[in-house]
Amino acid sequence: MSTEAHVGRLPATEWDGGALPYRVGHRKLGMWLFIVSDAMTFSAMLIAYSYARVSSDAWPTPFPFYPSIIFSTTMTLFLLASSFTMVMAVRASAHNRLRAARRWIGATMLGGLTFLVLHSIEWQHLLHEGLRPFRLAGEWAERWPQAPPLFGASFFAITGLHMFHVLTGVLYLGGVALRIKKTRHEDVEISGLYWHFVDLVWMFVFPLIYLMSVDFTPGAGH
Amino acid sequence: MSSENIRDVFKKSDLLLMGVCVVMAAGFIVLAGVSAAEAGNLLTIDSLFFTAVCLLLALTFVAVPALTMRLRGVRPFYVGDEVPPARAREHVHFEGGIKLFLNVLLGLLALTVVEVFLAYIHVPLTIMLTILIGLSLIKAAMIVAYFMHLRFERLSLVLTLIPTVVICICLLFIVFPDSFRAGSLRTTKTEAHPATEGAHAPEH
Repeated sequence: MSTEAHVGRLPATEWDGGALPYRVGHRKLGMWLFIVSDAMTFSAMLIAYSYARVSSDAWPTPFPFYPSIIFSTTMTLFLLASSFTMVMAVRASAHNRLRAARRWIGATMLGGLTFLVLHSIEWQHLLHEGLRPFRLAGEWAERWPQAPPLFGASFFAITGLHMFHVLTGVLYLGGVALRIKKTRHEDVEISGLYWHFVDLVWMFVFPLIYLMSVDFTPGAGH
Repeated sequence: MSSENIRDVFKKSDLLLMGVCVVMAAGFIVLAGVSAAEAGNLLTIDSLFFTAVCLLLALTFVAVPALTMRLRGVRPFYVGDEVPPARAREHVHFEGGIKLFLNVLLGLLALTVVEVFLAYIHVPLTIMLTILIGLSLIKAAMIVAYFMHLRFERLSLVLTLIPTVVICICLLFIVFPDSFRAGSLRTTKTEAHPATEGAHAPEH
């Protein structure tokens, strides 16, 4: 008896292939696996940053509540709002309202671009103060003489990688919005998964990098 | 007015010319961005002039293909009300209404406001860190469950993804306790070490 004939008589279960064991397409599963690996990348970086911070004698806490924290909170709000517009885009696409889906994706891209612009203004500000990856700004080095010069390295590496993700996401969404006639609903949903993940990462970067580094010294714009 | 296919209307040479125009326009937009970034202060006559000239040239170049396509009835980015065949065949599984998503968004905003408020009042660092991580985990769970739709997926997918992430991130914490000891293991240069110096002395 040949193998094919034998296989033909087996009861078809979900694990035989052909059927979808996870009830998602292979592309969506691929995006989920990418998100899992990316989550590990970001958590490794955040844990390394925490390790450096905890094992140091001192660590700069240079962000005054106003304007730094208010500024980064505004960035957070833009990212959260863009996540909401993305979910609305996926919903419109699920109901085959393509024009609405494209508009919502456009709004999402606008939110992402605003985040990028605000963030690069902040980067420029910090670079202008003299912060470099392996050198503290002059004023900071005087205020925290015990601190290692790693603040810039952790800050620029983590937020830089996140900014790169936002930029990639904006370009990706632009591609989806332009080709919305040719995409399937699942493609829109996959791009949404990526965008929400970028938002999710910021939900950890924002508290750990910014809110844990608030300057409480009197007269620091509190 | 229906949209016609761009390849049916134009000859190959027209398409090439229009493509060159679009490339030139993109180049001038990049140039405008570069000159704005290089200027440092955008609000000077020089930088405003160069940026404006670049943008004007970009507009000129993009106007040629845009007007030509409009005259010939081609609208490449037009989306009609008809559903494309690839979508019509697709089985779509989507749950959740605007109300649910708005509630999730409001929840996320509220938790963010709580976090920022904690940064405003002075909370001891360890308590602050515990609360922040806790709130962030809740926010992450909300995003994954509702925005990323995982709550409405099959349980097998959830059981494949979530334990993987949780276990791997926990494994990353194995070396973390060392950071608490690192401070007491460190020696500073200003301190003298008579024992060490004594041991090395006979070699000189």
